[in-house]
Amino acid sequence: METWKEFEQNPITHSAAHHLVAIAELLEDRGYARVSDVARLLEITRGSASVTLKGLKQRGLVIEDDRRFLGLSEEGAQIASGISVKKRVMHTMFVDLLGVDARQADVDTCKIEHLVSNETADRVSRLLSFLQSGASEARAFVAALEKFDGWKEHDPAEFPSKDIESLELREPEGHDDSN
Amino acid sequence: MSHEENIERLNGLLAEELEASLRYFHLAMTVRGMDRLLVKDILMENMKETVEHAGMLAEKILQLGEAPKIEIKLELPAEKTTAQEALRTAVTVERAALEAYRELLEKVEKEGNVVLEEFARAQVALESEHVSELELLLEE
Repeated sequence: METWKEFEQNPITHSAAHHLVAIAELLEDRGYARVSDVARLLEITRGSASVTLKGLKQRGLVIEDDRRFLGLSEEGAQIASGISVKKRVMHTMFVDLLGVDARQADVDTCKIEHLVSNETADRVSRLLSFLQSGASEARAFVAALEKFDGWKEHDPAEFPSKDIESLELREPEGHDDSN
Repeated sequence: MSHEENIERLNGLLAEELEASLRYFHLAMTVRGMDRLLVKDILMENMKETVEHAGMLAEKILQLGEAPKIEIKLELPAEKTTAQEALRTAVTVERAALEAYRELLEKVEKEGNVVLEEFARAQVALESEHVSELELLLEE
């Protein structure tokens, strides 16, 4: 199946991911979460929050008690935790390793946090672990990267720059030009 | 609540109502199956009522000396829906609006804001009626 079609069938939509993480954050910060709290945190209407949460309750990811307090099922909590960690991992890579502006990194992380696979997030976290280990090889790697001419700042508006033409880029498997 | 807080709350309710009207329109246009014959008109009628409620809120904001602010974020997918699902979504949206008006009523009651209290009380009554009507339609 083409990757873009898999996006459509992703079990967690962008909006659903935000709702799950919002509940997890509210539970951690305040010890409770209601629809109104989720709506306020996400800066959306109560109606919008209610409709999304309805779908998440039907799927068994969110639970609601008799007093209408929200919670996460084991699966919901696991998904929320996975998204939060992926968000931090990818953000750290964008800012600390790639030197992306923190605000731009926020935007880009938000777009992919619920889509990136466990495998990719795991590999990135291992790379960060190496870089943060303080090992001489890690320090040498970062130093070499910073010295490299091609690493110096480029105007993002010019992307793709001419430098990219000289790169040997891998074609993603299953790529379909018709898409 | 301060004047600014009152306006913010009313603008929030305005967003609830306008979003609900768009949801009703979307549901009316996406509902499929034999029940569409019955449900589409109900959904369109509810859409008109939510727009009327939005108008009342906007008037209230004007009466309080401010101009209404509309800030909504809504993305509705191109997906067909069943009559049952459309009505369940409608109940969810109406309950959310009812809760929002109840919250306003609770706040203004406490501070003795008679004008907003009467308005909120009337809206709670209207929304309660909507919820009950929709719940009746969903009963087996």
